[in-house]
Amino acid sequence: MSYDDVEIEDMEWNEELQAYTYPCPCGDLFQITKEELKLGEEIARCPSCSLYITVIYNAEDFADQKSNKNLNPQKQTVAVA
Amino acid sequence: MEENQKGKLISRQQEDEKGSIGEEQVWSWGAGTDGQLGTGRLRDEYLPQSLHLPSLSSTGPISMLACGGAHVVALTSGGKVLTWGRGTSGQLGHGEMINSLSPKPVECLGNDFITQVSAGWSHSGFVSDAGCAFTCGDGSFGQLGHGDYRSHCSPIKVSYFVNKHAQQIACGMRHSLVLLTDCPGDQVYGFGAGKRGQLGISINNIKSINLPQVTCGFRDIKITAISANGDHSAAISADGQLYTWGRGFGGTSDSHCPQLVASSLCCSKASLGWNHALVLSGDGEVLMLGGTHHGVLSDPKKMNPPKHLSANSGESLLERVPSPDGMKVVQIAAGAEHSALVTDDGVIKTWGWGEHGQLGLGNTCDQTKPQTVHLDREYPQKDTTLRVYCGSGFTYAIRSPRLLTQT
Repeated sequence: MSYDDVEIEDMEWNEELQAYTYPCPCGDLFQITKEELKLGEEIARCPSCSLYITVIYNAEDFADQKSNKNLNPQKQTVAVA
Repeated sequence: MEENQKGKLISRQQEDEKGSIGEEQVWSWGAGTDGQLGTGRLRDEYLPQSLHLPSLSSTGPISMLACGGAHVVALTSGGKVLTWGRGTSGQLGHGEMINSLSPKPVECLGNDFITQVSAGWSHSGFVSDAGCAFTCGDGSFGQLGHGDYRSHCSPIKVSYFVNKHAQQIACGMRHSLVLLTDCPGDQVYGFGAGKRGQLGISINNIKSINLPQVTCGFRDIKITAISANGDHSAAISADGQLYTWGRGFGGTSDSHCPQLVASSLCCSKASLGWNHALVLSGDGEVLMLGGTHHGVLSDPKKMNPPKHLSANSGESLLERVPSPDGMKVVQIAAGAEHSALVTDDGVIKTWGWGEHGQLGLGNTCDQTKPQTVHLDREYPQKDTTLRVYCGSGFTYAIRSPRLLTQT
């Protein structure tokens, strides 16, 4: 059973993992890649445990290259103090 | 040391009773892949591991632990702070964004006497005796309260509270709460992610704020304690009333303003998970809110008929946690999806999600009822005090000489 339903806007892009992530109660992160989203995958899995979440997103946002460009994560910068 | 094996060496135990009863002992178990167990190893542990932490024990007795997503914040009775575990967002406050396998002092707070600490998913909060609030770690939702969305790897004073007196800070997954002293009406503040109502600042939908804002609904109520975890928030009033806001428990709708949970209940402590809340009543009973996920007394068929303690039927259901042998409970702690309690005869019990060994029972099974955790040394309860703390997927226990904790 899916642990939770999470909207894509509540997930964070992780540059290192090249995936959208969301906290897993085990301490690790649920992860889903843009390629998976493009294929219509809606399950984000945690690499450390059996739990997974259902990602809620608009398939069109990830369907082709054009819209993919708009979601290019490079514009998200991480401020380090 | 193999002392966690069942076969007890009696002579050794007798020796220990004489030799080391004056010292504080710390155990950890559960998810450990970021170093949060302090074992020096990056692996899960299914049984309590006795820790040897010279950097911690040399700083004096631990007055409290705060356990977050995968990091630990320890406060000593001398007002010093040590942290370890995951540090990749700066949540350890060591001035760098890397993990630490063993407790290291937060040097930046060296000139302050810290009185209370909290650990969120990937940020940390500290309050000093002078009433200052400090935060560090992930700030991408505004949860550090500095007016921006930057992350910090050293604790920074929250300037909003500079002329006020902060008493407590509580860090959730992506939000923070601060309780002020002697500030009737405007005592509780929220900042960070607010989509589920966890800031309690407005009935309108607020995605996130990066400066503290007053939580509504406490104008004529004196709040004495706050807590936060996941997307939940809670407060306890001076007369023992429990209020919760944020994500709904057990499938109920989210609440954007504090809601009174059960007016008939005198609540002495509340501890929040990601989908459940534990409540300790004044007479040593434990009740649970939610728990439809792992948190867990999940199977209603296995339960005694749940007793409706809520003021009205629209509120979430409070269930009584089966009392272990009729014992009074003196402490509670909730992890993301597991729970722990300490009875007044010095026994730790755990239940809920067990996949990472966070129940400390030697396996990865889930438990719907509290189960006894066996620590590797048993001492007469009259001489010692046990405390238990839960992080997202891990658990800590501390046994202190009774005299020490009374002072």
